[in-house]
Amino acid sequence: MKTRFVLIAIVLLALVFGLSTLTVAKEYIPGSSLKVGFIYVGPIGDLGWTYAHDEARRICEDVFPWLETVYVESVPEGEEGLFIDKLILEEDCDVVFTTSFGFMDGTLDAAQRHPDKIFAHCSGFKRNANMMTYMADFYQIYYLNGLMAGALTKSHKVAYVGAFPIPEVKRHMDAFAIGVQEVDPEAELHVRWIYEWFSPTAAKEATEALIADGCDVFAFTEDSPTVVQVAAESGLPSFGHYSPMYNFGPEHVVSGQIAHWEAIYLDFLAKVYAGVYTARNLAEVNYWWLLKEGAVEIGAKPGMLINPVHEDELRAVTVNDPILGTINVWDLVMKRLEQMSDASMVVDPFQGPVYDRKLNLRVPQGLRMSEFELTTMEWAVEGIVGPWPGEP
Amino acid sequence: MKKPSLFRVERRPVVPGHVVVLVSILAIFAALVAAGIFFEAYGISAIRAYQLIAKGALGSKLGLAETVRRAIPLLLCGVGLTIAFRALFWNIGAEGQLLLGAVAAAGVALFSGLPDVLLLPAMFIAGFLAGALWGLIPAVLKARLGINDVITTLMMNYIAIYLVEWLIHGPWRGPSMRGFAYTDKFPSAAILPTISWTRIHWPTLLLGLVVAVLAYVLIARTRAGFEIRVVGENPEAARFAGISAFKTTLLVMIISGGLAGLAGVGEVAGIHRMLLGPTRISMGYGYTAIIVAWLARRNPLAVIVTSLLFGIIMSGGDVIRVSLGLPFQVINLFNGLILFFLIGSELLMHYRISFSFRRQ
Repeated sequence: MKTRFVLIAIVLLALVFGLSTLTVAKEYIPGSSLKVGFIYVGPIGDLGWTYAHDEARRICEDVFPWLETVYVESVPEGEEGLFIDKLILEEDCDVVFTTSFGFMDGTLDAAQRHPDKIFAHCSGFKRNANMMTYMADFYQIYYLNGLMAGALTKSHKVAYVGAFPIPEVKRHMDAFAIGVQEVDPEAELHVRWIYEWFSPTAAKEATEALIADGCDVFAFTEDSPTVVQVAAESGLPSFGHYSPMYNFGPEHVVSGQIAHWEAIYLDFLAKVYAGVYTARNLAEVNYWWLLKEGAVEIGAKPGMLINPVHEDELRAVTVNDPILGTINVWDLVMKRLEQMSDASMVVDPFQGPVYDRKLNLRVPQGLRMSEFELTTMEWAVEGIVGPWPGEP
Repeated sequence: MKKPSLFRVERRPVVPGHVVVLVSILAIFAALVAAGIFFEAYGISAIRAYQLIAKGALGSKLGLAETVRRAIPLLLCGVGLTIAFRALFWNIGAEGQLLLGAVAAAGVALFSGLPDVLLLPAMFIAGFLAGALWGLIPAVLKARLGINDVITTLMMNYIAIYLVEWLIHGPWRGPSMRGFAYTDKFPSAAILPTISWTRIHWPTLLLGLVVAVLAYVLIARTRAGFEIRVVGENPEAARFAGISAFKTTLLVMIISGGLAGLAGVGEVAGIHRMLLGPTRISMGYGYTAIIVAWLARRNPLAVIVTSLLFGIIMSGGDVIRVSLGLPFQVINLFNGLILFFLIGSELLMHYRISFSFRRQ
């Protein structure tokens, strides 16, 4: 009787012990193999935001032999918590990247639920001991593209098809307009909003409307190559967005923005692997990476900075720069790129004085904008024509 | 002389209940087999996929909780649709009516300044009214001008979608969201309680169950319900009997739209706690509810079962997306196939095959 009692007790103890080892979360041991999960907001085939993140994920997997990755695409905002839990509990992920602003609160909640796991949230501003934030931003590239657009426009009307009137898109339009006007002070930037991140139909309509308005150079924020294609049909130049769009208009894609999220992912994961970043020291970690860190690239496609088709046109236009003297636009783009790629960043598009289109001084002489100011900016610079929801 | 045959097909005068259930189950089974072919084509064992779905949606506490919470908006929208479909009003607009409910709830939560105790009841009332109003517009258009209800209800969905977009990008954009398109978070008095750690906002669930029973009583036991059925089954007879098709149409759409509106209140007050992008608020509940109502054969009580079934499909779909890395469109594939087979089985239900073994 007594022995049976002892036996049962042992079995129970073993069960409890076994279960507890099963449920206690394992903290990542630096140097061991690492499993990373990605939560995407869109489909990986979108040729835009999510595609770029997924490209970066695959590069990371190729570079690091100790790395294994899983991903979930098209996760609706509000559902991220559920998918994060699945990645951690069922897939055993040590690190989870969430790649949309709308995932911010869900990621923070999950970080608090799983204090031993590492989280990274893209484009947000809330952090935790085990949750960092990161962003690769294009505003410098838009400025460089703007310089070229200013040289290429003959009607002095440059077009921009915008997804949503939020600070990120407004910042890019402003930087683009500043570039345009540096080369062609007379030029206007005509804006159409389509209120979609991915909508070839809306992008086509907007582009056609802008062509009808007399615009002759095109830039955009939308996750398909539609604007490039529609502009090219009319023989008009454009700038690609987010992924290499050269192939959609080899004669007409001048340059564009290309994201290299792998720059951030490789750096961060290498530091997790080395034990530099742990689930306890991320509260102050924020990657705000630009040209000089290699998180973004200017080009019609990787390695083709400016489409050679447009070289003569760009060399034919010159500007008078207070420091560089008389310089043609091709050389100006190269010079500015070099300056912004350098660690000292001697120039910045938003270099004071900058006025908004209501003539308020936004950036005083001799100053630049902080990351906070850049990520919350709502105003439009001079020369922007069109509706601007939320304009202060 | 007629050639003797082994069997013949004949129309059933009355379709008995067990045949409806049997045929429905058969339709679902056929849809699963068809979807299984797609799984196999994808290089994934269909049996394993279904095992994972069942395990993920029913076998774990997390999965079970998610199944139920997805069933809540399907239940409310689905019950409303059974009533509209009874009167042969083709309400394809539950999605838009749900969004309007969400908008009204957000408006009350953020801007009404009501005392805390009144906030949630006021949100539900406002949500019902807003959904009903959205449903009334196509109802009036059909009853007075004879405009096709399928088209108007569907189009009203897009208007609702752009209304929400405009609000969150324009006047209602939250100052605390750094320029992103969300309203501010609701105050805590405007947030529905959930069952412990789950996301099951139980007041909405309870509301859905009560409404399902009330709707059943309405259809089966009241004069208004009788009129709804007559208008649906025989409009000529309804006219002779002096039943106003106009009033009946308005009534079913007030109920149908209002219930969808309640579902919208539950989603923003129970899950998101703010107003956000329309596709985030709803994830197509209003459209899926059409299949839910159809599978329930327009019986409000049966919606309790069918909404749970689609809850399983939705939360099971999440599981296979993670475990099998399938594309997210899988869920739509499922829904489409099930609706396809259900409508196809309609014919099957009304006929029977009788075998004759008599020799002549």
